[in-house]
Amino acid sequence: MPMIRDFVIDNLEVHVGGQKLFDHLSFTVVPGEMLGIIGPNGAGKSTLLKAILGLITPQSGTITVHGDHGKAVFGYVPQVRAIDEEMPIQTKDFVSLGLPLKLRPWLTRSEREKLRKVMALTRISHLAKKPIGKLSGGERQRAFLAQALVREPDVLLLDESTANLDPGAQEQMMALVHDLNKKKNTTVLFVSHDLTLVSKYAHRVLYLSRQRSAIGQTADMLNGNVLANLYAQDASSLKQDRSSTSAV
Amino acid sequence: MFDYDFMRHAFIAGTIVALMCGAIGVFVMARGLSFITHSFAHIGFSGASLSVFMGWDPLIGMLLFTTGSAVAIGQMGVKWFRREASISVVLSVFLGLGILFLSLSSQTAAFTTTLLFGSVVGIAMKDVWALSILTAVILCLLALGYRPLKFDTFDPVGAKAAGLPVRYISMGFLVILSIAVAETVQIVGALLVFALMTIPASAARHFTQSVFRMMVVSSCLAVLGVWIGLTLSYLTNAPVSFYITAFEAVIYFLSLGWYRYRERALGTAEAREAG
Repeated sequence: MPMIRDFVIDNLEVHVGGQKLFDHLSFTVVPGEMLGIIGPNGAGKSTLLKAILGLITPQSGTITVHGDHGKAVFGYVPQVRAIDEEMPIQTKDFVSLGLPLKLRPWLTRSEREKLRKVMALTRISHLAKKPIGKLSGGERQRAFLAQALVREPDVLLLDESTANLDPGAQEQMMALVHDLNKKKNTTVLFVSHDLTLVSKYAHRVLYLSRQRSAIGQTADMLNGNVLANLYAQDASSLKQDRSSTSAV
Repeated sequence: MFDYDFMRHAFIAGTIVALMCGAIGVFVMARGLSFITHSFAHIGFSGASLSVFMGWDPLIGMLLFTTGSAVAIGQMGVKWFRREASISVVLSVFLGLGILFLSLSSQTAAFTTTLLFGSVVGIAMKDVWALSILTAVILCLLALGYRPLKFDTFDPVGAKAAGLPVRYISMGFLVILSIAVAETVQIVGALLVFALMTIPASAARHFTQSVFRMMVVSSCLAVLGVWIGLTLSYLTNAPVSFYITAFEAVIYFLSLGWYRYRERALGTAEAREAG
């Protein structure tokens, strides 16, 4: 059963395009929790996930994630993944890309079995032979999720993965992730602007903006006053920034 | 036809190279490297010309130049090299260099024609051995690196997020490709490397959606093209390269037609089901 031992973000500072996104951001993720990440656009929510994945090097601070067997295994599902519409590769082949890499071209029986189970879990078994480029938005996101799950991740990072889906498909995908979190204890960090989904599925919520960050229990964080206060403070700082810029 | 040594050598060498081109071509097309392949051929041409000037085996110069440039492109990043201007400059400079080396050497125009258009019927047994060894090495490397290469080719974002060393995978593939091009130049020539490296793979995409099956179909089409090209060339005395490219082109357009027909049929069936 995938499980992380510790997941600590300590004094993180990341600059993107010459701009500082986090100012000594520190928090601890509880193993097995579903952490919702919210905040205004451009706050660095996606950047945080990329920094956790090691795709971005922080200016300072550390990210420590340990799995049961040493280095944690991540599964990542972004909002948009450039897929060539004409891409001829079939969905089963695409999902199999996520299997742990071996220096042999063929899949073993156990790998094929794992693939079959994950495709059944994400309800894409019937699409196995369809080219990935020909799937609908919802089907494609489920295929991306299947690819992330087939490597049996300790931590699942979802970056607005349901943003382009209709409400039914959003609910279906999040329920699937929630089920996985419950059954396999997979730690999930998901970025979303949909507060209904966050309130339904997150155990805790991290609010992130360029000015401030806050973390707490979902019910506390999504309390109307707290949330309104956080967003309002950022909106007023932004207004001040703009007025000072225009004054200059 | 098989009574002649040169025809036997041509069939063996052509088959070996076609098998390799078919397999590697699937990744060339999927990674959008067809023009880099073409550039490698021109770079190989100037390497071979340098070899001739220095009195070495042409394959040595070709391998030196193509693998050297593969490492350089890998370092700079494929995106930089894919720019139209970069490709134009590199193609021109290396063709110019090739012509310079040939003009400095004592070789005749016939040698230039051989380098540019290939000479499969001029292959000696020692060349067949060299091609066999190189092909075996390339196919082994391709088999060992198949899974990471497939991941990086068909889902670069996912591969990066999964922590794959995508830069090294890209550079490794470019080196494999550069060796493959240096081999193929000897069969179809620098100007027609395109034919074996890209057309069978492009056609295979229309017949199957499994990457492995694409490689098999692509290799079969490439081998078939070489066999038909050699046979027709023997019977008519026209250049082998012409027949190979013509056959591959016909297959490509037939595959495209088949693909469009199937798509339309599928679309109609789905609409009927939905409606």
